[in-house]
Amino acid sequence: MASPCEVLIDSQDLALAHEIAACAVGEATRIEHKFSRYLDGNLIYQINHSPGEFVDLDAEADRLIAFAFQCYELSEGLFDITSGILQKIWRFDGKHPVPSQRQVDELLPFIGLDRISYDKKRLKLPEGMQIDLGGIGKEYAVDQITGLLRNQYKPGILINLGGDIAITGMRQSEEQWFIGIEDPDRSQQASSMLKMRRGAIATSGDANRYILHRGKRYGHILNPKTGWPVEGSPRSVTVGADTCTDAGIIATLAMLQGRYAEEFLERQGLKHHCHR
Amino acid sequence: MQLKRKLTGALSFASCSLLGLPTAQAESQWDIETAVMYYSEKNRVTAIEPILGMKKELNDDEFLKLKFTLDSLTGASASGAVPSTQVQTFSTPSGNDTYDVAANETPLDPTFFDTRAQFSLGWDKPIKRTLRRNLGFNISKEYDFTSIAGNASWTWDTNLRNTSYTIGANIELDWIEPEGGAPLPLSSQDPGSSPPILRDGNSKQKQVYDLLFGVTQIIDRSSLVQFNMSLSLADGYLNDPYKLVSVVDSTAGPNEGEPVDQIYENRPDTRQRSALYSRYKKQLTNRDIFSISYRFMNDDWGIDSHTVDVSYRLRLNNGYFIQPGIRYYEQSAAHFYRYFLLDSDAIPETVTADYRLGELTTQTIGVKFGYSGNKNNNWSIRLERYTQSGESHPDVAIGQLVNQDLYPDVDATIIQFNYAFLW
Repeated sequence: MASPCEVLIDSQDLALAHEIAACAVGEATRIEHKFSRYLDGNLIYQINHSPGEFVDLDAEADRLIAFAFQCYELSEGLFDITSGILQKIWRFDGKHPVPSQRQVDELLPFIGLDRISYDKKRLKLPEGMQIDLGGIGKEYAVDQITGLLRNQYKPGILINLGGDIAITGMRQSEEQWFIGIEDPDRSQQASSMLKMRRGAIATSGDANRYILHRGKRYGHILNPKTGWPVEGSPRSVTVGADTCTDAGIIATLAMLQGRYAEEFLERQGLKHHCHR
Repeated sequence: MQLKRKLTGALSFASCSLLGLPTAQAESQWDIETAVMYYSEKNRVTAIEPILGMKKELNDDEFLKLKFTLDSLTGASASGAVPSTQVQTFSTPSGNDTYDVAANETPLDPTFFDTRAQFSLGWDKPIKRTLRRNLGFNISKEYDFTSIAGNASWTWDTNLRNTSYTIGANIELDWIEPEGGAPLPLSSQDPGSSPPILRDGNSKQKQVYDLLFGVTQIIDRSSLVQFNMSLSLADGYLNDPYKLVSVVDSTAGPNEGEPVDQIYENRPDTRQRSALYSRYKKQLTNRDIFSISYRFMNDDWGIDSHTVDVSYRLRLNNGYFIQPGIRYYEQSAAHFYRYFLLDSDAIPETVTADYRLGELTTQTIGVKFGYSGNKNNNWSIRLERYTQSGESHPDVAIGQLVNQDLYPDVDATIIQFNYAFLW
């Protein structure tokens, strides 16, 4: 998953903790192997390498694709799993130059979820288009693991996949889980503290990946409609919701609202925290 | 491009389909806590107190708390009068009966029994992301005492520095209807005297106002420190209507120091108190918890007090714990406290012989043992030994009082059992 992952188990039983950890790792690995676009031969690879052909989806993949479509509609096109191809021209590592408008224009015709065919648990991509579940995969994995563990195990468990977090329930002592939000300026140090009793939190944004172009600062989340990053984005957004998936979508959309991020988040009525 | 709609409802519905979750909100339950406390002073007061507490989450992070307490007290308590080499006779609080105290024994009022019922309600909710508000109401009733109180407090979290500030206020109104009516302060209680004993049949009142400021600071992942400052003003009838002050014979000779009269006490009409409290709590690497606190109190009755409390919770296997603790308390006497009065002196405007306002120290040693492993079901049992002592032979003692214990020790045993569960 390309980020540090951990499971915190509130129990004194070491054998149980090992069992729980194994269960969590098993499920995380299963999801990663199935939906990662870096692995050859898996379902996503098949979908992305069968231009013009229908690929059958199993029940789980079908649910994810259906969800991606619903998010695309709700976000008026801002959340789009076909926008991954923009990463070919955008690298936020400080070494690559900002792409030209012409380079962006060349890719735009191959972006847009409404261009792919999806019905009756089958998906067909036109030539040149790709899907990438990176925007929801990690949060989905957190929720799946949380659900699995909550049904089977009594202790309070916290699942943290690279900053996307959910809890199965409260700690034994009934105290809340305390989660420190990293200060973008001083990594490894918490700049603020969230207390969780239930639900999940997700963080979008990476303070270390951004571009300074002509004196303006752009976040690294790209707008699928323009092909460009959004000006005036917060450096990171953390959102709390009942599920990690919900929190992740709202956090991503908040980043795309640029300087209106806080206004957007207030309207959604979820607990949130913006770093600027 | 700005998104101007609220998406969370539809999004939540969509993700429920994705994750196979039920769309209804989780059922909320009542968190129930029950406790029974048994308190027994050697040869004196015994109390049994059952408590029922109920807590429910109304909305996200919003709680309703209810608590019912019953206190049942029996036994005898020191009346403030001094012992004598002779048998003494006293009136009961109602004035309708008398009781005798043997020679050389501390006079205890033996008709001390009462039941108190108390109900409190609390409503705790976040009003902004970093601001919580707590509103509470309290009502308490005893045979001769009724109290109602309301309180409000606000807690502000400044997330950036893991600091919480609290400000709170409490107002209490009490009605006191002593048995037989409140005695006229400083009047004599001698049952054989005439004119008749003066009593006031009206109910007496008092008001108490409290203000609290607090700061809690998280130091690191395993420790925190807390500071509170509180101010309190009590106004109205502050006397204990059943307490006496002995007036003793000051003439040198065989009767020196013998009580010649008993008068009812009188305290000032107001009492201003301020207190500073600090606490440090740390969880050690082996998950044991150490806690220490100190409180300093000061009031305009001349009482200064210090309290130090230390406890250490040892985490045992499988969710059991054992927690030993000690507490030390000392206070100076109120400026109007007297062991007794001399018949040659004028009676002061305010005077009390109530041992609770005298110079005293207490030590409490105890241990708590319990199981906190499962939030659905946890219990604990607490055993404590309490000792209170003061100056039994003050320099002011004269005549026969030199040989009497003018401030007997009070020893008490406390046993409490707690059980909490979800319903």
